[in-house]
Amino acid sequence: MKKKLSEMNYGEQGIVKSINEELRKQVAGMGIRVNKKLKMATKQPIKGPVVVTVDESNISLGLGIADKIIMEVES
Amino acid sequence: MKVLLMGHPNVGKSVVFNRLTGSNVSESNYPGTTVDYTKGCVWVGHKEMELIDVPGTFSLEPKDKAEEVAVKMLKGNKNAVVVCIIDSTKIERGLYLALEIIEMGNPVIVALNMWDIAEDKNIDIDEKKLQQILGVPVVPTIAVSGKGIKELVSKIKEAASVKIESIMENVGGK
Repeated sequence: MKKKLSEMNYGEQGIVKSINEELRKQVAGMGIRVNKKLKMATKQPIKGPVVVTVDESNISLGLGIADKIIMEVES
Repeated sequence: MKVLLMGHPNVGKSVVFNRLTGSNVSESNYPGTTVDYTKGCVWVGHKEMELIDVPGTFSLEPKDKAEEVAVKMLKGNKNAVVVCIIDSTKIERGLYLALEIIEMGNPVIVALNMWDIAEDKNIDIDEKKLQQILGVPVVPTIAVSGKGIKELVSKIKEAASVKIESIMENVGGK
């Protein structure tokens, strides 16, 4: 199932399907790229950042960025 | 000659720095920012080199002040040898930064730090193959215990600048 990274729920895992062109370079340094497996670690309340696990390390992304990353989520 | 220690935040750059310099460290402020970098001296053979501990950066596209300093330092020291320190347990994103630095044209040497933790996590890295592909020296290190540091120093003078195209050829990409 496809959904935005920002829409993933706690504990859900998925594979990155597409990243907004302008954003691609920005998140590449954090290890996020197309076909990479991500796991939602925490969602902070009140439009706070999301924390995802990439390669066993946690990375926090602003909601604006997480909105532009499309995921294929395992159901 | 200058040697820059670069890498992601929290990969052990400063530990390597302290290992290399002993207690001969001085701190200084970079103008216009609140970010510090540390300078020290290291002896390679009979030559004294200036070692700079650059703030950690995720990529060469600066997103904050600390990264701006890092990128500026790299661009302002075109001939400086860059010791790219990678967390062996997070090698993929580390290599991304390493490739970005190689693309800048500086002579580079890669240190695969936290080698012991990678072993604990059953991460098997073929450092000889990596060295062959990248064309720059690759040294496994454990900065906290000092393993590999001597080898790292002895290889600083072997640091090479390579063209990104030749790396692409080595991995069989286009």
